[in-house]
Amino acid sequence: MNRRCLLALALLLIVAVPASASAMDGTPGDVDGDRVLTSAEYASAALTYLDAAYMGGAGDLTRTDIRDAAWVSAHWDGRPCEITDSSGRTTTLYRPLRRVVTFSGESLETLRSLGFDMEKVVAVDKYSHGKKTFFPECQGKANVGSIWSPDMEQVLILRPDAVFLYATISTATCDDIQKRLEASSPGIRVFRFDCFKPATYPGEIRTIASAVGQKERGEEFAAFYESTMNRIRDGAAGIPDDERVRVYFEYWFDYTTVAAGAGYNEKTRLAGGVNPFATGTAEYPVVDPEAIIVTDPEVVVKLAGQGLAVGGYAGHDIAAFDAIRAGMLERPGWSSISAVKDDRVYVIHSDILGGAQHFIGTAYLAKWFYPDRFADLDPHAVHQRYLTGFQGIDFDLASEGTFVYP
Amino acid sequence: MMSLPANHLLCIALLLMVVPAAACASPVTRSLSTAEPGAGEVFTVLLSIEGMTLGGVVETLPAGYAFVATDLADDRVLARGQQVAFAVMNDSRITYQVRAPASGSGDITGRWEDFLGESDGQVAASHVAADGIEAPVESGGGDPVPPAAQETGSPFAVLAAVAALLLASGRGGRR
Repeated sequence: MNRRCLLALALLLIVAVPASASAMDGTPGDVDGDRVLTSAEYASAALTYLDAAYMGGAGDLTRTDIRDAAWVSAHWDGRPCEITDSSGRTTTLYRPLRRVVTFSGESLETLRSLGFDMEKVVAVDKYSHGKKTFFPECQGKANVGSIWSPDMEQVLILRPDAVFLYATISTATCDDIQKRLEASSPGIRVFRFDCFKPATYPGEIRTIASAVGQKERGEEFAAFYESTMNRIRDGAAGIPDDERVRVYFEYWFDYTTVAAGAGYNEKTRLAGGVNPFATGTAEYPVVDPEAIIVTDPEVVVKLAGQGLAVGGYAGHDIAAFDAIRAGMLERPGWSSISAVKDDRVYVIHSDILGGAQHFIGTAYLAKWFYPDRFADLDPHAVHQRYLTGFQGIDFDLASEGTFVYP
Repeated sequence: MMSLPANHLLCIALLLMVVPAAACASPVTRSLSTAEPGAGEVFTVLLSIEGMTLGGVVETLPAGYAFVATDLADDRVLARGQQVAFAVMNDSRITYQVRAPASGSGDITGRWEDFLGESDGQVAASHVAADGIEAPVESGGGDPVPPAAQETGSPFAVLAAVAALLLASGRGGRR
């Protein structure tokens, strides 16, 4: 490393450490240090600030200090906020998050669902950065790469007070990023959340909502999410095992399916489907084409998305989905499969099944598997409400994007 | 009747006048029980607050006018010279009393800061004249200056900027 690099690194540390260290000092205005900013302490702090700012007084509270104190008083009742993330680690927050970096698009999306001020997200991962239609406000933000190739220098330059990483996937790489961040800037809060797993997502919504002072919004969003997921669980709960629909779920690549460890299998199961290939040891096993015909699936679901890049939020391309489906129908021997004979072959985009929007895709699966049981479920309406009511983006499903076919 | 371009120009001019005013709408407005108090009379100032839950207001009185009391609790008020600071905590109105001098006129000015909304601005000035007689007196301190400087110029940022310049000029590394 040459002298210039060393100097640059040293400067990064100088700049980064003080910014984040202040987050560890307690809430501004808590003069007795008992970790509770009382109403009287807050009032005193406000006057001290106003005196120094406008009246020639000598207080040392900055504008950011008093704004943070007001925020803590309003959103956390004057107390520190203890956040236990999905890795089980508890972090105490004394101030609101002002400079957030997300390495996880799912956490970013959840923050937006919760009404977090996106101006306070200073950098995002490269995948979110590339989603121009879904995250238009992120186009001007810094790009910190991915968890597999993080731009640590960029992260430190940005002096974040919080960084979001995944909790249970790619744990080794996320652990490494966390270790490096905490070593170079001890005040940085690293939060680990998945935000794509049905089992943990409602809890994660509420936890993140507390961290960003949006508890009411968190309850509203969690209730919206749970109303869809509980409807699916309840609807599928009473189906006897021998009446469950056999489903062949095909990943982006031909004849590649999903097995027990894959999230898509979990969603197939939640929607009441049975995956004949669930017992494979690999998450995404390649299957013998003949084996698919032998199992005679009643429903076939094909995944479009990153590895089969058509549709989703990036493009309105029904013809491409139709072509994918037509190609499957013409596969050798498939004319004898029940799903083909009964016209129950579907294409779904991973945008609504793989990440934070998995509840929308799972609703489509349930509807396809059991149209009578889920006659009242309207995944399209759920999707539009999510985009308009929670994501706050101007996206009309009637004319934009392609997510399911037919 | 005006021609179409003239109509357009008028609309644009109106928009230019209205839009900034709407965008900078103050959450604090002031009204006085009287703008012409008698000599030595105590009059009431009402600050009406809308859409600001946690914030502050600093009022500056004309010279000779004296702050007397307020309906806010003592621990939410600070008076210093011609200035009075109020800590706003879910208040929709704050009243305070001012004693007029034997003579003199001037403006009551003010600044507000919305700590939660992270915005600030001025409260429109209110003119007051003892006995209704315009008799300007020396300034009571003027309108306070917003503390913009407090948020900038951290020593670390300055240090980084200087170093960056050094690096950019090639002086920080080996040639």
